[in-house]
Amino acid sequence: MNVLKVSKWTIAAFVLPALLLYACLVFVPIIVSLYSGLLDWNGIGTSKFVGLGNFTKLFFSDPVFWPSVRRTLVLALLSMGIQIPFALFVAILINRYIKRPNFLVSSYFLPVILSVVIIGQLWKTIYNPSAMGGMLNQILEGLQLQGWTRAWLTDPKVATYALYFVALWQYLGYHVLIQFTGIRNIPSEIYEAAKLDGAEGFKADYHITFPMIIPIFKISVVLAFIGSLQSFDLVMVMTAGGPAHATDVISTHMYHMSFLSLKYGYGSAIAAFLVVFCLLATLVINLMFNRIEKRYS
Amino acid sequence: MNRSVSTAVKPAAEACALWSAFKKGAVVLMLSVLFVTQLYPLLWLLTYSLKTNEEILSGRFFALPEAPQWINFTQAIEAGQYFRYLLNSLFVTTVTMLGVILLSSLAAFAVARFRWKYGQVVMLLFLVGLMIPMQATLLPLMIMFKNIDILNTHLSLIFPYIAFQTPLSVFILSGFMRTIPHEVEESAIMDGAGAFRMFRSIALPISIPPVVTVCILTFINIWNEYIMAATFISSDRLKTLPFGVNSFVSQYSVNYGAIGAFLVLGALPVIVIYFFLAERITKGMVTGAVKG
Repeated sequence: MNVLKVSKWTIAAFVLPALLLYACLVFVPIIVSLYSGLLDWNGIGTSKFVGLGNFTKLFFSDPVFWPSVRRTLVLALLSMGIQIPFALFVAILINRYIKRPNFLVSSYFLPVILSVVIIGQLWKTIYNPSAMGGMLNQILEGLQLQGWTRAWLTDPKVATYALYFVALWQYLGYHVLIQFTGIRNIPSEIYEAAKLDGAEGFKADYHITFPMIIPIFKISVVLAFIGSLQSFDLVMVMTAGGPAHATDVISTHMYHMSFLSLKYGYGSAIAAFLVVFCLLATLVINLMFNRIEKRYS
Repeated sequence: MNRSVSTAVKPAAEACALWSAFKKGAVVLMLSVLFVTQLYPLLWLLTYSLKTNEEILSGRFFALPEAPQWINFTQAIEAGQYFRYLLNSLFVTTVTMLGVILLSSLAAFAVARFRWKYGQVVMLLFLVGLMIPMQATLLPLMIMFKNIDILNTHLSLIFPYIAFQTPLSVFILSGFMRTIPHEVEESAIMDGAGAFRMFRSIALPISIPPVVTVCILTFINIWNEYIMAATFISSDRLKTLPFGVNSFVSQYSVNYGAIGAFLVLGALPVIVIYFFLAERITKGMVTGAVKG
């Protein structure tokens, strides 16, 4: 199918600029951090090779590590279990009942394209104590629910959930948009044929919409996973992992170890774990969906 | 007899119509509530940014400001170097965009149209890159940039930004370039056009739609990027907008109105662009998600 036969110099001229930049700034750093994960090194001075020492410490005696992994996973699961199904439900309803859906879908999407700094600081202001003008606590006081007011971001019991909520809130519109586009692309003849067979409304959704948008659903799931890793920025902006590590996720833990405690070797070990974790998760998600797709085709 | 049938049917039909009207009403209500939860926080921020500290602390969060406090905005602009951050962001994003388009369209053309052994291998390398979390490269990149002495310059942002946008861009562009019919190329070869001319005067002009998509994705990602900027940049005069906004807000912790104003100003460029290009942006983001 590729027709152009050209000299290898031409090929190099086309491919190498992008490939070299990419290799130097993405691949080499990853390999470097896999290696420096084996060192005891503070960035200055000499480093000592400690083998898997950093990893044993990480897995067996770091009290912050496993909870931070758990938080990253819980966010991904909440996103897959609540946010995406809800987005699908909303997308189905918009598609069925709203005549001019574009305005609505674009409005839901607006928070997605704003920087996490804006979103994070905005919600920080909303979560503020009411003596500092926080909207949420002011609403609760207005409803005579003083008992429900909280220091949302500094109370370790609720801070994580306050953060989860913002992350789910910001990207809800993205999932609605994706599912909505997926539903729009299902040919309407299929629904008409189903109507003749007596399937309408949610029955038609069960037999047609769900199987037809599985590929789109997979995209949403992958995005949910990536999104839960990207919640890193949001956590950094809103709580920086505090109070007392109560909201740490994998990446914030890595960031603190590398840039604040200056344990470069240990930070690299966490980074290496993060890369492997990501590759494995992508693999698992793909395998899972291959199986589901096979069952439905 | 006919009459009795019709009277029996009528209430049922009415009930049915009533039920579907009720259902429609419930759906509209739910979607409106969602509309409010997704947009009200932003609107609230706008009113917040125009209030005095007393008004903000009074607890009447719903009320509009008595008199709009534009002074919050002038304070934010003067104390916070808004325009400098804006200019920095504009510069970094523009250069990144140009770099991404140039490098990834060249690579995509080679992957899609040349007959060579390693095309698929190169593509696979880029695909792996889609799965690598950016955060994992922060520390090694910082050390590398320190060694080649570009830490705390805009180059230390532009290089990794281009590199991280390349995989998806190559993927989108090569997917499109594969669909260019061969006849176009054959006639160009007849005319004696070389690979570069074919790229410049045929492939690139045809590929404007995916290039626009790449531009949109790059813009949204890079304009909003915070953590690399916060890690690699330390001088105030080099900060990009998200980083600048964040440092301003963290420093100015008691002047609530000015904080709100700076957040509004920070969100403004993207909101204005989205207002005019909403459909293109949503389409581009879907394409980006589907390809990724």
